[in-house]
Amino acid sequence: MSETLTLRGLIEKRGASRVVEGHITSCAASRDHQRFAFTTGEGDVIIAHRSDLTDAASWNTYAVHDGPALSVAPDTDPHGFLTGGDDGRLCRLDMHGEIEELGKSRRWVEHVLSYVDGKASYIAAAMGKQVELRDATGRTVLKTFEHSSSVSGITFDAKGKRLAASHYNGASLWYTQSKSNNPRLLEWKGSHIGIAMHPQGEALVTAMQDNDLHGWRLSDGHNIRMSGYPTKVRSLSFSANGKWLATSGADVVVMWPFFGGGPMGKPPMELPGAGGALCTRVAFHPEQEVVAAGFADGTVLMIEPATERVLPVSLGGNGPISALAYSADGCMLGFGTEEGLIGLVDLAAA
Amino acid sequence: MSDAPLPSDTQDALVPVTVLTGFLGAGKTTLLNHILTAEHGRKYAVVINEYGELGVDNDLVVDADEEVFEMNNGCICCTVRGDLIRILGGLMKRRGKFDGIIIETTGLADPAPVAQTFFADEDVRAKTRLDAVVTVVDALNILQTLKESPEAHQQIAFADVMILNKTDLVDDAQLKQVEDTLRSINAIAPIHRAQKGNVKLTDVMDRGGFDLQRVLEHMPDFLENPEHHHEEDLSSVSLTVKTPLDAGKFQMWIGALLQEKGADILRTKGILNFEGQPDRFAFQAVHMMADGNNIGPWKEGEPRESRLVFIGRNLNRPQLRRGLESCAVA
Repeated sequence: MSETLTLRGLIEKRGASRVVEGHITSCAASRDHQRFAFTTGEGDVIIAHRSDLTDAASWNTYAVHDGPALSVAPDTDPHGFLTGGDDGRLCRLDMHGEIEELGKSRRWVEHVLSYVDGKASYIAAAMGKQVELRDATGRTVLKTFEHSSSVSGITFDAKGKRLAASHYNGASLWYTQSKSNNPRLLEWKGSHIGIAMHPQGEALVTAMQDNDLHGWRLSDGHNIRMSGYPTKVRSLSFSANGKWLATSGADVVVMWPFFGGGPMGKPPMELPGAGGALCTRVAFHPEQEVVAAGFADGTVLMIEPATERVLPVSLGGNGPISALAYSADGCMLGFGTEEGLIGLVDLAAA
Repeated sequence: MSDAPLPSDTQDALVPVTVLTGFLGAGKTTLLNHILTAEHGRKYAVVINEYGELGVDNDLVVDADEEVFEMNNGCICCTVRGDLIRILGGLMKRRGKFDGIIIETTGLADPAPVAQTFFADEDVRAKTRLDAVVTVVDALNILQTLKESPEAHQQIAFADVMILNKTDLVDDAQLKQVEDTLRSINAIAPIHRAQKGNVKLTDVMDRGGFDLQRVLEHMPDFLENPEHHHEEDLSSVSLTVKTPLDAGKFQMWIGALLQEKGADILRTKGILNFEGQPDRFAFQAVHMMADGNNIGPWKEGEPRESRLVFIGRNLNRPQLRRGLESCAVA
């Protein structure tokens, strides 16, 4: 396989790319925004440093999991990462490249998250039907949340007070500090395959096996249905101000309005796509009203909804975009494809 | 094999999946180990259930949870295996590590959700194809099992291939009785006799569904024996129409039929001769979910006729025949 691809767009001048072995399963930046991690179907984690971001040859590869690495999240410290794998292991990859096994489950660890603010910090990992809530070190399990079917997605709310998990027939909303261990159950028949929480806590949205979205208005549990997709929606991302929910699953970027009474009874906004290729990943900028979208033909775009202005990040890539994430300061955007292409772009003003 | 049409790129890129089913103690795991250890130079990923009777000796083994999910498409019988969607998706991320996938189901499992997963989930469809449902049958115990268990009926009805195992434990008369019983439920799946799972690999793997052609060729028209059926029993109905069919009429008819009777019709398979089409059309359905594709031109000397087989309960043969005949070009 050829190791060089000629990519066009922002990545030419402000970024770098590389082809590694394996399907790219997820990517994330560290909390200090200085490092960016990509995980692969081979169980590897590739780390890029912002200081030498354009030198892809300097990115280091660490063999962390036996079998696919499924998920990566920033660690609770500023520098490191947490990963979950098909091998049932929850691991920490610290700034020195040391790997620490934090947990070992009989089940796959499909989702890993961390939450940090001045008062609390947590690590959460979905393992089969369970979600473990751990402390900041990851070495102590604070709570184990049990579900009657496999957990397909997890998310914290913006304050770290609640953790939501999607599963068959609905979602469960768990309280991180509550003494009692009972969730608020949000029920809707069918298989829910992914989840997102409105940043101001107004709604919880899940993607469904049946090519549509389901939502609950959290104030009163009112059901919200968002449908019309030709395929399953694999990626959901709210804008920081909570106005928009961007979604994959169509040949355009479908954006549901969460303002002016929406999304109930409002049609979604459709942002331009990549010439008919299916949108496979979306990620809203952590501060601005700009959305990044990845497509099945390998294209990555940044789009401003208000003006529909499109900025090509990477054109001419190989394979569907399978991972896409901003750093929390919005200055780095990373992506990966099913064919093992990884790319990273520096968006900071030069 | 030399006359097989060259597979198209997409067909070739799809990973074949074999589903191994059969009642508890029928010898599924023995057969599985026989397949894995045989000299074939192929690597398989194996999906087993957590109640496996014996160990499986293979590099890539994944545990399944048998999570059956209903779809929200208004079709009550449309269930899929949520865990398989996840597992197959995970395996596709290490596509280069194996040539095929074998899924072993628990003895009490209804094969429908497994088979329907290959029709209903777009990701599974995009990357894998259901090669065959192989049902292992215990010659000694099956007649008793059939009296006690509806799942055993379903497993036989769903089979593309039946392995009649433990034939050394019964006499010829019993064997004949067992085979007749299997045939009365599923008239089209070939039956291979075996002891301790010692089947020829080519009888089980890479069936491609389209020995369906060969099977249908060799199947007499009235194989199903109508004598001793209760309405509720599973049986097969096979139909042949010599006049070419109108593709549009057929789609209308089969669509409406499966919508109405899909809960009772477990499987439908056929090779169809559509008017104006040089290629044979292979049709198959699991309950209400149907699929079909062209499988290359008719062979020299092969009768150009449409054959369709239904396996299910409450099958009304005259009505089905009239329905299929009504699809013939005027």
